[in-house]
Amino acid sequence: MTEALAIDADLEGPVSPPRDNGEVVFAAPWERRVFGLTVALCRSEACEWEGFRQRLIARIAEDEARPYWASWAAALEDVLAATGTLGADELDLRHDAFLARPHGHDHRD
Amino acid sequence: MSHEVDENAVRVEAVESLLVEKGIVDASLVDEVIEHYETSVGPLNGAKVVARAWTDPAYRERLLAEATGAVAEFGFGGPEGQLIVAVENAPEVHNVVVCTLCSCYPWPVLGLPPSWYKSPEYRSRMVAQPRTVLEEMGLELGADVRIRVWDSSAEARYLVLPERPPDTGHLDAEALAKLVTRDSMIGVGLALSADAAEDD
Repeated sequence: MTEALAIDADLEGPVSPPRDNGEVVFAAPWERRVFGLTVALCRSEACEWEGFRQRLIARIAEDEARPYWASWAAALEDVLAATGTLGADELDLRHDAFLARPHGHDHRD
Repeated sequence: MSHEVDENAVRVEAVESLLVEKGIVDASLVDEVIEHYETSVGPLNGAKVVARAWTDPAYRERLLAEATGAVAEFGFGGPEGQLIVAVENAPEVHNVVVCTLCSCYPWPVLGLPPSWYKSPEYRSRMVAQPRTVLEEMGLELGADVRIRVWDSSAEARYLVLPERPPDTGHLDAEALAKLVTRDSMIGVGLALSADAAEDD
């Protein structure tokens, strides 16, 4: 990360990337989060980029109507399960616990 | 609907909270990655590459021969940055890029792909009827221009080298880079005309 940041450091400030030339890449905070989480994980043993990409292809093919970032999130879960990093049961439990939080405590962004 | 809890958001939050607890990922690293891709990696990188290719014939040859290495001369690399292939437009040939399977895209030079690039419509229709899709996106090509559609994958992530706009002989690489849009490097647009460089 440090290396990559150093490489691009000269793009900050007056020569930063043109914003009118881009579109909103993320429509919701969780989409931004799952992207960052995946790339961060791929810098460790927990996730290998090409393995993730193959699962993303599979998840997109499985349901073309599903929003892109939902397929991405599903693919990340697949990788984490396959590498034994995070099992579905454990994740379901946490997910249910978060859903059960009182109203007003269900947002973090 | 709007007041319902977003299941996806909660799910992703659950994933991250468990990974942080297990010490597998650091939340601040996630923040850093996001900030990096939102602010530092973008089409300006690709624009610099294209402008150099327009002004430096030897660099253009290196770019067309082996783009990953040529791009790395600028220090651009990282995820989705292996095996970049540059394809060059000419008066009679127009190149356009799609990823029919998912969203392969040369991040180091273009940043993250726009939402339409990932849509099922673009991914399927650009292959079947490129001329129509390009017209819908505002690019009308002459009937004599041949369209080549490139399907990006892990083996090759394509970058279009657009044609240098006319009447730009007086501009240096820095000024030329301002004419190079993201869309022109995907192939759904052309580089801007010369007067756009003077709009600062």
